[in-house]
Order: sequence, then structure tokens, then C-alpha cells
Amino acid sequence: MPSSTSSSDAAVIAIPLADARADVPRLTASDRPGVAQPVPERDIPAQPWRAVSVGALTLFVVLMAVWEFYWRNQGATPGYYNSNGEWAQQRRRIDTGEGGKTVLVGSSRMLFDVQLPVWEKVTGERPIQIAIEGTSAVPVLEDLAADPSFTGRVVAGVASDLFFTGFAFRGDVIPYFHKESPSKRVGNWLSRQFIEPYFAFDDFDFALGAVMKRQPWPERDGIPTRFDVRKLLTQESDRNSHLWSKLETDAEYRELARTIWSQRFDGPPPPSMDTPEKLQKIADTQIQRAVDAVAKLRARGVSVLFVRPPTAGRYLEFDDKFFPRERTWNVLLARTGAPGIHFMDYPELQGYELPEWSHIKATDADRFTEALATIVTRDFWKETQD
Amino acid sequence: MVFNSLTFVAFFALVLAMHSLPLGWTTKKVNLLIASYIFYSAWNPPFVILLWVSTVVDWYAAQGLVKSEQPLARRAWMTLSVVANLGMLGYFKYGQFLLDNFSALMASMGIAYHPPHSDIVLPVGISFYTFATLSYTLDIYLRRALPARNFLDYALFVTFFPHLVAGPIMRPTELVPQFAQPRKATPSQLRFGLALMTLGLFNKVVLADTFLSDVAERIYDANKIPGMLDAWAATLAFSGQIFCDFAGYSTTAIGAAMCLGFAMPDNFRFPYAAVGFSDFWRRWHITLSSWLRDYLYIPLGGNRHGEMRTYAALMTTMLLGGLWHGANWTFVAWGGLHGTYLAGERVLRSRFANYRPGPLMFVAFGLLTYVLINLTWVFFRAKTFGTAWTVLGGMVGAHGDAKPILSAYSLICVAAIVTGIVVTHWLMRNRTLESVVARAPAAAVSVVWALMAFAIVIAQGDGSAFIYFQF
Repeated sequence: MPSSTSSSDAAVIAIPLADARADVPRLTASDRPGVAQPVPERDIPAQPWRAVSVGALTLFVVLMAVWEFYWRNQGATPGYYNSNGEWAQQRRRIDTGEGGKTVLVGSSRMLFDVQLPVWEKVTGERPIQIAIEGTSAVPVLEDLAADPSFTGRVVAGVASDLFFTGFAFRGDVIPYFHKESPSKRVGNWLSRQFIEPYFAFDDFDFALGAVMKRQPWPERDGIPTRFDVRKLLTQESDRNSHLWSKLETDAEYRELARTIWSQRFDGPPPPSMDTPEKLQKIADTQIQRAVDAVAKLRARGVSVLFVRPPTAGRYLEFDDKFFPRERTWNVLLARTGAPGIHFMDYPELQGYELPEWSHIKATDADRFTEALATIVTRDFWKETQD
Repeated sequence: MVFNSLTFVAFFALVLAMHSLPLGWTTKKVNLLIASYIFYSAWNPPFVILLWVSTVVDWYAAQGLVKSEQPLARRAWMTLSVVANLGMLGYFKYGQFLLDNFSALMASMGIAYHPPHSDIVLPVGISFYTFATLSYTLDIYLRRALPARNFLDYALFVTFFPHLVAGPIMRPTELVPQFAQPRKATPSQLRFGLALMTLGLFNKVVLADTFLSDVAERIYDANKIPGMLDAWAATLAFSGQIFCDFAGYSTTAIGAAMCLGFAMPDNFRFPYAAVGFSDFWRRWHITLSSWLRDYLYIPLGGNRHGEMRTYAALMTTMLLGGLWHGANWTFVAWGGLHGTYLAGERVLRSRFANYRPGPLMFVAFGLLTYVLINLTWVFFRAKTFGTAWTVLGGMVGAHGDAKPILSAYSLICVAAIVTGIVVTHWLMRNRTLESVVARAPAAAVSVVWALMAFAIVIAQGDGSAFIYFQF
């Protein structure tokens, strides 16, 4: 019978070297082979726990206050976290009765440069903002194409180095949306209610790991120092976003942001893109994905309009060198048959200040949005506005 | 929901509030049961049905066991429980794995068989709660335990949210009796419980997720050839990550239960100070290793039928223990390595029965144990044997011309944290956390508690799942 096992049955799995643990004060199941395990006993260390917990809470509050004060002193203000949960909340609107609306997709330029209140003022409709930084618009277009609930219009931002390479820094956001658990959804709601509007420290750039990583650690031979992209945006409740004002007011921070982009311009290309032929092949693949997605959308009556927002300085040079318009943008429009607005074709979309070459500063973003929305309604969606 | 989430903070605050209301004990238990179902369904509501199936089948199987006197009938009820639980586990966890292997076997015989990909989603924690419910019927079958007096106590034993999805794997005799009488935490229990939860979350959110997981990922998931330093750094990082992740979960679970007035058993006892592999398994995932010992190794004959049967039972136990962790042959290899280590240790212990190591050799054996444990983590962490061999090759210096991958910062993090973990385990080797806390100045306890809580908040964890949820 198993219950009659000898205690030596434990020997193989769980008997240590003799006398190694003679004074362990609390037995566990590993010490009691083949028997019913008793109710565990847990001792409470003798401490003045009331005083200990009050002291811990007080110190915790002080530390948090200091941390919050520090980041506010750096120019941060409370705002909404650009999380997967926030994105999913906006994406969900399409499936919950707002599928006929205008949707903004693309990467950070669509997110920062297009201001929802201004767009609403010009067009009469506040669009759904689901552009996401560092991420090609193509996967989101494909997701919308596969969603029959969506019957509205799409303004798709094209950031050449993302769109035509298929780079998707936040590509996990789409599967997150489709698999978001009730727990995550509640957590996002709680965060929006009780954390995000009140605390400036709640930003990926101020997280412990990010702060520690960017300290001046020694370098290792063969590993070039690379800086991660820093905080660039501030966000409101429905993902209306703009470039963080620190990029305008703090020359050192602005220079840092430019240096970070320059890593992309000056570093070697990835092995998969290290010749013009390889790069073109990847661009063609991405264009084909866009063609397929746009065809599906248009078959459902969805209007798709591509927009190439402005870049400046070295970013523009980089775009022109590696993603020349005639081999990327023009091909995209020709093959999808969708219309497009390239900032170089419209004087009213030029002349804005882009502090770090990639995004329009917050105050200029209002003017840019007004000009863009006016072009859209005047030249492209006129019939539906009428 | 995961412990490291805002949802859990709100959930737990509500549960604590409900538990402190002046309600009857049965009402409080019903509240805890409902809360536990909410806790589980917050991942994926339909999977709560599986939990109910497991609960109901084992309840009736246990009733049948109690009422039956005939050995055949008792065996039939026990078999029903085992088949139902392992069948469910097999379908959801190993279904695709079995199909893939069958397909590969057919292919090796020249038969082309391509089963459809089934996209089976693994219900979170299924390996844990099936083992918990199995222990209920098996303990009754083995006449080690009496059945719960009522269905509510039994259902709460299965479902009690602190241990539900990642252990510690509770036995009925450990938890069911605690439901017999009203339980409410004393103020000191509540505060120490919260302190334990803070410690557990610090391990998970700060040490595992913030500083160690990325290092392991960049070697094990990057498809690059690592040199010796990078391969060792990644493997050591994973050894720290998996300890902080899993022991962090267990500590949080123990603390949560304590806040409600319940006691849960230790699941870890400073395992990286183990000297020898049997010692390691007394310290690592104690509730699983003792479960496997009591319900698999001993029924297989244990060490009562000669050397060969002992080694066969031992290896079978460890191989299946490896497979329990995941539907991948790499986990079986991990279990096989541990089985080999344990068998080797048994041979040495019988050959050198009178040997007693001096202090230096004792520490040397401990470090050797830690190094060999790290070799097993390679198979545990690698998703394929190809990756495992690549990393192992790096660890033994086979990739002399490999380019560096990890930054100095990553290496410093791993060196500091893993050294800290190993030294702490050795200092705590023959102690409990409680005994150390009891001797510490109250102000120091406050400061450490506050610093850990501060680090958890500013780490801004993304609520990533605990590693063992996938098992």
C-alpha cells in the first residue's frame, strides 16, 4: 500500500547531505513524504507592526512625492499613458457603434501632428485616433480591412522609413486588442480614472528600468552606445496627442532627440536592407500588403486617403535618400489607386517648425491640422461633405 | 488577473473589505468563492467552466470513494478522477504536441500525415488546479484524508484565488480544515501579509521584469550566436528571473492568504544555496516536488524495489515533472537532466556514505550545484534544442569569434542581482525570512518595506504574466 511507505522513500528526491540543514525551523511537505500534509503554520515576526507599517507608508509617500516633484520639475505634466489599453479603447469604438467614422492610422507623425479638436472644427467630425508610434500603418489597415464593422473613412499616415519597411515597434497592439482580457480592460479603466490624470511620473521614459539604463555606464568593446527614444509626446483622453513642449523649450533635450534619430541615419542598415535591391524588395512587399488591404476596404465602400506628413533636416534627407518618392510614395498611390496628400505638393503643409526633424511642434500642429483637414474636405472628400 | 496589476489591487482591497464585514462565516466563504471565480474569469471567462468541471468531477469521485468499500469500486472512482483531470490537461496542454509528434513519427515512416492546427488555448493555471484537485481524490483514495464536510469548503479549496493559478499547490489537508472555523487576520497578520506581498511583487516587478528578463530574451530569443560571457550572463539572468518571478508569485500568494487569515505552505527555501540536487528539490518549488514524490514516485515503487526500479521511478518522475512544465521536448530534457543529477548524487552518496565535507568543500559543492542547475535552465528557457545547443556552445567557449551582444549595463545588472540572490540564499540558508525580520530593527523593516514599494511603483511594470502561468 502506498500509505505504508517508509520514510526513506523520500531519500532520492528530497534528502539533503547529512547535517546540512539541521536547524531549519519550519518543516515543509518535502520533510513529510507519503503522508497527509498538515495545516501550515506561519509565524508572525515579533515587531511593532503598526509603527512599522505607518513608518513604511510615510516614507513611501515622501519618496513618491519627491519622485513626482522631480519629473514635474523636468517639464512633465500629468497626461494619459500611450498604452496598448488606450489604443484598444479607441479601436473598440469602431466595433461599438462608431464604425462609420473617420479613422486616423499611421505612426507618430499622424499621432502628434493631427489635432483632433481642430480636425473636428474643420470637418464637423472628431476622428478616431489609432495611429501608433514607431509602427507602420499597414498592419492596422489590414486589421481594419478584416473588420466588417468598419465602414467609415481612413486617413493613413505614411512615415517612409516605417511604412515601406514594415517596421512595427508597437505591432503587439493589434493582437492585444483582439485578446484583451477583462482584467486588462479593467486595469486600463482604473489607471485612466485614478492614476494617469494626476501623476506626471507615469510615463515609460520615467520608469525605473529606463532611467537606470540611460545612466553613464561603462562601455563594452564592440557594443556601440545606443540611446533609446525618449519621451516625445503628451496625450489626452481620446489619444489626442502633441509633441512634448520640452522639445521646444529645452535645447539640450532637443539636441538629444536629434542625436537619437541620427543613430538611424548614421548606423549601418540591417542586413536585410543593406542594398538598394533588398530595400526595394521589402518596400514592394509592404506596398502589396497595402494594395490588398485597400482593395478590401474600398470594396466595402471605405475611402482611403494616404498622407505623407512633413519631415525636416536630416530626417528629410534620410527619407529622400533611402525612400525616394518615385520608388515608394508614387508607387503606393499608383498601385492602390487611393489618393494621397504629400506635404511637398501643398505649400500650406510646409513651413512648420519640427524641433527634432520628425514632428511638428504643438502650436504649429493646430495650423497644420487646419490646413490638412481643409485640403481633405476641399479636394478629396468634398462630395461626402456636401 | 495577475497580482502585479492595478485590477488586482482594486480586487484585493474589495475582498479584504468584504472579508472584514460582520457577516456569517458561510457568507464570507461564499464571498471568497465568488471572488475566486471572478479572479480566474478575469483572464478568459469561458475557462471557468473547466474549473467547474474539475471541481464537480472530483467532488463526486471523492463521494464515491467514501461510499465504496470494494477495492475495485474505489479504484474505479479514483481512475475516473485521474482520467478526467489528466484528460482535460492532456487535451488543452498536450493535444497539439501529441498531434505534432504523431505527425513527425508518421513522417519518419514515410507516411505523410498533416493534422490541422487546432489553435487550442491553454487555460491559465490548469496544471496547478488539476494537481490540487487530484490530490483531493488521491488522498481520500490513499486514506490519508477525509472528504470535505461540504461542497462549499471543497470548492473553495480548489478555487481559493491566492493559490489557484500558480500554486503553491495545496493539499486538501492543508487548506480544507482552515475553512472549518471563522478566520480573520489579526492586525499584525494583515500588516505582515502586506509586507510579504510587497516583497513578492518587488521580486517579480523590479528584479525579474525590470532588470533580468530582457537580458535572457536578448540571447535566447534573438537568433544570435553568443560568446561565453553573453551566454553565461543570459543563463544566470534567467536563473535569477525565474526564481524572482516564481518565488515572487508564491510570496505574494502567501501574503494575500495571510491578509485573509489563512496559512499557505512555503514553496521556496532559498534554493540557490542548495548543496546537491536532492537538497535543491527540497528548496525549489517544494509543493510540486513533494506532489510528484507522493503521487508519482512513491506509487511507482520509490526505493523499495531495488536499485534499478528506484532509478527507473526516479527518472520517470523527473521526465514527467519536466513535461508538466510544458508541451515541449526541451522540458523533458530539463527533467531528464535533473533525473540524471539525482541518480548520480544517489550513486555518490552510497559510495561515499561516510564522507562529510568541510566548510570550504561544502560551499564548493554548493557552487557546483548552482552551476549544474544553470545548465538545466538552458533547456528550460530555450524554445528549441537548436537554441539550447547554441547557448550551451557559448557557455563552454565554442563560439570564440562571436561578437558581443549584451551591453556593459546588462552585464552589471546580472552580476549585481544574481550575486545578490546567491549570497542572500547562502546567508538565509538555515533561516527563515520571519526569523531575520524578527531580529531586524523596526526602522530598518520600515525603510526596506517602503523602498520596495517605491521601486515597484516607479518600475511601472506592464502587468506581464508570471512565467509559471504558461505551465
